Amino acid sequence: MEYYAIVLLVYLGTDLLAAWGLNLEFGVAGVANLAFIVTIAAGAYAYVVFTLPSPAAGGSFQQYVGGLSLPFPVALAGGVLAGAVVGVLIGITGLKRLRQDYQAVAMLVVSLMAATIVTADTGFLGGNAGLVLLPNFAPFSDQDPEIQRWLFVAIVAVCCVGGYLVLRRFTNGPIGRALRAMRDDENAAAAIGKDIVAMRLMVQAVGGGFGGLSGALLVAFIGGWSPGAWAYVETLALLTAVIVGGMGNNRGVTLGTFLIAIVLLQGVQFLPQMAFRIGLREDLGWIVLGVVTIAFIWLRPQGMLPERRPKYGGSS
Amino acid sequence: MQLLIEAIGFGIASGAVIALGAVGFSVQFGMSNILNITYGSLMTLGAYLGLVLIDRGVNAWIALAAAGVVIGVVSVGFHRWLLAPLVRRGTRAFAVVIVTVSAGVVLQYVIVAFAGPDAKSYGEQSGQTFHLAGLILTASQVAIIVLTTALMLALHLLLTRSTLGRAMRATASNRILAQSCGINTDRISDVAWLLSGVLCGAAGVALAITTVSFDFSLGPVFLIPMIAAAVLGGIGQPYGAMLGGMVVGMASELAAAFSNPAYREVVAFAILILMLLIRPTGLFGTASATRRLTA
Repeated sequence: MEYYAIVLLVYLGTDLLAAWGLNLEFGVAGVANLAFIVTIAAGAYAYVVFTLPSPAAGGSFQQYVGGLSLPFPVALAGGVLAGAVVGVLIGITGLKRLRQDYQAVAMLVVSLMAATIVTADTGFLGGNAGLVLLPNFAPFSDQDPEIQRWLFVAIVAVCCVGGYLVLRRFTNGPIGRALRAMRDDENAAAAIGKDIVAMRLMVQAVGGGFGGLSGALLVAFIGGWSPGAWAYVETLALLTAVIVGGMGNNRGVTLGTFLIAIVLLQGVQFLPQMAFRIGLREDLGWIVLGVVTIAFIWLRPQGMLPERRPKYGGSS
Repeated sequence: MQLLIEAIGFGIASGAVIALGAVGFSVQFGMSNILNITYGSLMTLGAYLGLVLIDRGVNAWIALAAAGVVIGVVSVGFHRWLLAPLVRRGTRAFAVVIVTVSAGVVLQYVIVAFAGPDAKSYGEQSGQTFHLAGLILTASQVAIIVLTTALMLALHLLLTRSTLGRAMRATASNRILAQSCGINTDRISDVAWLLSGVLCGAAGVALAITTVSFDFSLGPVFLIPMIAAAVLGGIGQPYGAMLGGMVVGMASELAAAFSNPAYREVVAFAILILMLLIRPTGLFGTASATRRLTA
């Protein structure tokens, strides 16, 4: 039971980091990044290849590039960096002045393509089987297991608090206002001298960094990573959290992440297992998730806690 | 050389299936300007409906027609009761795409919940093969090429020779002008979504006939080559989609024959991304990537 609480706390923390990053990109800056899960995957894979020993030393039963045996903080930073780089690469597909739905589809395709390539190329990142045998709770492997777990939760909590402080610098204040202006009317924002390309790429780098941090922390906790963990529908779960909570509102997204990632997707695990088909509960989770997304876009597109519009002097 | 000829044969066969789906996708996009990602899951639904019928001893071609009709009706309902109201109340384009992605995921997991995650198969179709100038094709591949050609010809005649077809083209190019000419554009939208749904369901069954086995991810996976074909030909242009289907099918099979077969899908991805980034208006530059959504 205590272990389950730890699992939930770590999931909540990593999902929060990811959802905040996606909210910065999608809710605040208006980039409908349907490939967000790829930045999480990049962070996770980077963490894996930075911490694992070289493939030959591990008996060569799994193949991957790298294998640098780096310590935890360096690998974590590597995960953030990888997420940011991949975020920018994804963002390049969104630079062309296409309709937003074209951009969304282009990014959805990027997500599917990345999974196909990683699966097809078994020597690159372990292929479909993925990479395993990471030391769990890496930084504290010499401690008592129970203390290890709680210390890891503390690390995730510190990352969340730090992440939130960084996030506020981008979603509030002058940068946040410029991003919202770009989201609401790109041409008007460009006309008053905002550099749309630079802002888009910056948002993708920061959002991708959040994704990378989330992925690196998650993989350090669960100890393995494979393409099954980052199917494109996972982005939908985060997107639902953003939409349900309230696009552009960090507190709303925090609430949305709790409701979607923990209450809904973990809650379905407590349904009675139906004997005739294993896995039906998880299917039900995805069905409810999709219906909730559609219902919110239909009934309450601004979400549970709508974005607060800033009030300026004068009458409006 | 033999490898090349075989690859061309497979390319034509898979190009025919892609074209079938891509034309349907293009017809509904041309009418409503909605990038309907649910299309892939509707195709999967078509394939599973076909499976249910074939398991009960129905002929595969009758199953194909039946699945087409059912998916056509579902498609009309999906547009009329979900997408069109959203567009009318001014939902933004990316939100509509998210709705279609979500609806696709819902449908996909409903199918899994009923049919299970295991791979299914229609069983052995006729084992006869045809040899045409070095090309080797199975009977069902030939039948699907013939079917696609016939359906495309029928669509061409419908669009150019009938009053309904002219009304459809008028509505697609300027809805308000069409309305003021006395065309019932809502009715025409329904017809377009019905037609595209029929093609979608038929493509689902055709795809399941030509593949060894399929599972619930059939449609979403196949959606990429289909959108690639539609975008390549200029999205919303049925003739472009036919050509695009052939190009994508051929390029994928050639890539599979001469490199890692897993890269078959990557070719379609690459075509789609490059087209979206460089020429979102399609090869012939007639489709518009800036038009607004219409209900």
